[in-house]
Amino acid sequence: MNFNFSGAVLSQAIASGIMLGGLFALISIGLTLIWGVMKIINFAQGEFLMVGLYLAYFLVAWGHIDPYITILVTVPFMFFFGIGIFRATISPILKDPVMNQIMLTLGVSLILQNLALMLFSANVQSVHTRYATWNIHIGPVVISAPQLIALFGSVICTLAVWYFLKTTDSGRAIRASAQNPTAATLMGIDVPRTYLLAFGLGSATLGLAGSLMIPFYYTQPTVGVFLGLIMFIVVVLGGMGNLVGCFVGGLVIGLAETVGAAVFPGSLARVFTFSIFIIFLLFRPQGVLSKRQT
Amino acid sequence: MSLKMPYIRILVVGALICLLPLVLDTFYMHIAVLVLIWAFLACAWNIIGGYAGQHSLGNGLYMGIGAYTVAYLVNRFALTPWVGLLVAIALSAAAAAFIGWIVFRYALKGAYFALVTIALTEAAVYVVSNIPALGGAGGMQMEYRGNSLAYMQFAGQSGYFYMGVLMVVFILLLTQWYKSKRFFYQLIAVRENEDAAEALGVDTVKAKIKANVMSGVLCAVGGVFYAQYFLYVGPRSVFGEVVSVQILIYAIVGGLGTTWGPVVGAVLLVPLSEIARGQLGNSLPGSQLLLSGVVMVLTMLFMPFGIIGAVARLRQRWQHRSATPLVDSQGGEAS
Amino acid sequence: MLEVRGLTRRFGGLVAVNDLSFEVNEGEMIGLIGPNGSGKTTTFSMLSGALRPSAGTIAFNGERIDGLKANKVCRKGLARTFQVVQPFPDITATENVMIGAFVNVGAGRQAEAKAREMLERVGLTPKADTLAKELTLLQLKRLEIAKALATEPKLLLLDEVAAGLTSTEVDVMLQLVRQLNTEGITCIIVEHVMRFVMNLSHRCIVIDFGSQIAEGTPEEILNNPAVHAAYLGEEASIA
Ligand SMILES: Nc1ncnc2c1ncn2[C@@H]1O[C@H](COP(=O)(O)OP(=O)(O)OP(=O)(O)O)[C@@H](O)[C@H]1O
Ligand SMILES: [Mg+2]
Repeated sequence: MNFNFSGAVLSQAIASGIMLGGLFALISIGLTLIWGVMKIINFAQGEFLMVGLYLAYFLVAWGHIDPYITILVTVPFMFFFGIGIFRATISPILKDPVMNQIMLTLGVSLILQNLALMLFSANVQSVHTRYATWNIHIGPVVISAPQLIALFGSVICTLAVWYFLKTTDSGRAIRASAQNPTAATLMGIDVPRTYLLAFGLGSATLGLAGSLMIPFYYTQPTVGVFLGLIMFIVVVLGGMGNLVGCFVGGLVIGLAETVGAAVFPGSLARVFTFSIFIIFLLFRPQGVLSKRQT
Repeated sequence: MSLKMPYIRILVVGALICLLPLVLDTFYMHIAVLVLIWAFLACAWNIIGGYAGQHSLGNGLYMGIGAYTVAYLVNRFALTPWVGLLVAIALSAAAAAFIGWIVFRYALKGAYFALVTIALTEAAVYVVSNIPALGGAGGMQMEYRGNSLAYMQFAGQSGYFYMGVLMVVFILLLTQWYKSKRFFYQLIAVRENEDAAEALGVDTVKAKIKANVMSGVLCAVGGVFYAQYFLYVGPRSVFGEVVSVQILIYAIVGGLGTTWGPVVGAVLLVPLSEIARGQLGNSLPGSQLLLSGVVMVLTMLFMPFGIIGAVARLRQRWQHRSATPLVDSQGGEAS
Repeated sequence: MLEVRGLTRRFGGLVAVNDLSFEVNEGEMIGLIGPNGSGKTTTFSMLSGALRPSAGTIAFNGERIDGLKANKVCRKGLARTFQVVQPFPDITATENVMIGAFVNVGAGRQAEAKAREMLERVGLTPKADTLAKELTLLQLKRLEIAKALATEPKLLLLDEVAAGLTSTEVDVMLQLVRQLNTEGITCIIVEHVMRFVMNLSHRCIVIDFGSQIAEGTPEEILNNPAVHAAYLGEEASIA
C-alpha cells in the first residue's frame, strides 16, 4: 500500500474521481428510475449501456458523425430498444417473485453480451475524435474536456428526469403507479403503459450515456458487467430512487475508485469499492442522504 | 411408494450411468464429466437457493476457494489433493459461515442478497488476480503427476467419470436423506414464510447460515474436482459472476428445490452448450453462453418451476381430472 | 405465568400500545378486546417476540422474554396464531404443521404423526395432503391453530380465530378452544365476535388506543360504561 503520495497525486485523484463519479451517476440515472422508483429489477442494465456504447461507436467510427450529434440517434434508439425488451421479456413476469425477474434479466444480459461477442468480437473498441486531446489544466490537475462534458450531461440529465417526475403528468403517473398501482388505475392512469414509458426512459438515458462516454471511454462485449454492478451500487448508495442521492452516490463511488487506485496496487481498488457497497447495504441501506426511517 | 424407493432410484440410475464409458468416445466422455461436475455444483447450490430460497448469485466464491486451495497446496507443497480437499472444506466452511452470519443477521433478502453475493465473488476475482503466489490474473497450471487415486489424477477420463458419478450419487443421497429431516423442513419454512417460521420456533438466521455452509462446502468440493480435472484454475474460470450464474442455471432449468432438478438441468443443457461450443466455438464465440441466456429467459417465461416442476404440475392436473389424491403422502414435492 | 409491565410500542409518532400491564395465571382464559386498531395484534406481536417493545417488560414463567427472538419465545412454550394467516403456501397442510411439531420432535416420521393428530383436532384431516395455497381462508385459520398447537405451547395467543365464521362454525371453534383449556393450555383470546370471547374468558382486558380501559369478568365488562363508549360506532357491537 502506498500512503505517502504527494498532494498533486491526491488532487489529481480527487479531480479524476469527480469526473468518474459524474460518469457513474450518468449511467445510474436509468436504473434509479427503473429499479429505485418503479421497483423493476433489470440485471441487464449494464448490457443496455453496452448496446448504447456500441451504437455510438459505430455511428462515430463508421458513420463519421460527431459523437455529440449521435445523441439524436442513440437516445430514441435506446428508448425503443428498452421498450421492446420490456414488452417481450420483463412485463409478462412483472408479478412473479423477485428472483424470477433477476434470473430472466440475467438471461437477457447473457444474450446481449454474447450476441455482441459474436457480432463484434471481444476486442476493445474506441474512437479517436478531436475532443480526445482537449484538456483543461487547473494548477497541477488535468481534466479532459469530454469527461467534463459527461459530468455536465449527468447534472443536466439528473435535473431533467427530476423535473419530469415532479412536474409533468406522465412523471406524476410514474410515481403514482410505482407507489400504488391499484390506486393509480382507479385514478385513470394506464399503469402498464406507464411502466413501459418509465422503462423506455430508463433505457434512453443509457443512449445518452453511450454518446457522452464514447469520446473518452471504450466498448467491449463485457463492458456492462462491471458498469452494471456499479449502477446497482450507486442506486443503493443513493437511497433507491432518489435522483440527487444517485448523483452523490456516483461521486462517492467515483472517488472511491480513483483514490482507491492511488492507494491500492493493481485492480484491488475494485475490492475497496465493493466493500463500501456491502458496508452500506448492511449498515445504511437507506442510502447516503436520507434520514433513517422507523 | 416405499420410503426406500427414492434411494434405490438414485443408486440404480448411478449404477446404470457407470456403463456409459463402454459406449462413449473421448469427446462425449469429456462432456459426461462436465455434466457430472455441473450437476454436482448445481445440487450444492440447490440447498441454499432451492430449499432455503436464498438465491445466491455468488456461489462461484466457494467453488473458487476449493479450486484455488487445492491448486495452491498441490503446486506449492506437493501435497496430495486429498489434504487439499480437507483444507478447502475447512476454508469454505469458514467463509460461508462468516458471510452467512453477516448477511443473514442483517436480514438481506431478494435483490440485495443477490447483489452482495455478486459483489463478493467479483471481489474474489480481483483479490486473486493481484496475488502473485496464486498466479495472478493468469491463474495456475497444475502438473500431471500420474494415474493414481492418491493424486486424484487419472490417465483417461473414465477415472474422473467414476469419481464424478460417486460425487453426484452422494449429493443426491444426501439431499434425499435430508429431505425427511427437521433441517430441510426448516429451510423450506424459511423459504416459504420467514415470519411464520420464526413463530413456530425456527431460528431462521441459524438455518440460513447452516444452509449456506452446507452449500458452500459442497461447492468447494466441486471446485476441487474441477481443478483436478482441468489441472488449471483461473480467476474467471472458478470465481466471478458468470461462473456463479452457470452453477445455478441448471438447478433453475431443471427444477428448484427438487432432488433431481439440478441433475436433469445439467444433463440436458451441458451437452447442448458443449456441442454448441465444439461446433461453433471458433466461428461464433459465445454461442454457449448465448444458449444459456436463451434457455434462462424461456424457462422464466414459460416454465418458472423448471422441468421437474412443470412435469409435476402436469401430472397433478392429470390426477386431478381422474379424481385421485393430489399429492402422495410421502410429501408434496416431486422427487 | 405471564407478567407484563409497562408494555409500550411506538410506530413513529403513533403509540400503538401504551403502558400496558397485566398478568395471566396458569390455566386462565383471558379475553383481550378493543376496537379496531386499538393495539391488540401489536401486543401479541410483542409477547411472541416478533416485535420489540419500545418500553416495558414481559416475564413468562418468571423469566424475562422481552428482547428474545420469536423462535426462542416459541420454544419456551408461548405460541401465537396470526390474524392475517401466515401459511407456508407451497407445501401441504401436514408439512405446514410439521414445522411446528419439529420444535419438540426430531424425527420426520414422529413429526408427521404429530402433525396429522393436530390436523385431526382442528378438523382438517380431509385436507391433510392439500397444498396450503389451495386452502380456503377458513381452512387456513384452522391451520394456524394446528401449527401453533404442534409446538406444544403452555400459553397460546389466539388472534381472531373466530372472525368470519358462521354461527355453527363459531360453536365448533368454541368447543375446540375450551377443550384446549381443559388440557391445561392457558389462552389469551383476541376476538371481535363477542359471543366467542365472553363464553370462553374467565377474565377480560379491554384496550382502546393502546391503553387499558377496563378489566374484569365478562359480566363486569359488558356492564362497563367506559367499554361501551369505546365501542360506540364500532361494527362489532358489544351488546
Ligand atoms: N408495522 C406497523 N407500522 C406502523 N403502524 C402500525 C404497524 N402495525 C400496527 N400499526 C398501527 O398500530 C395500531 C394498532 O394496530 P393493531 O394491529 O395492533 O390493532 P388491532 O387492535 O389488532 O386491530 P384489529 O382489531 O383491526 O385487528 C394501528 O393504528 C395500526 O395502524
Ligand atoms: Mg389485530
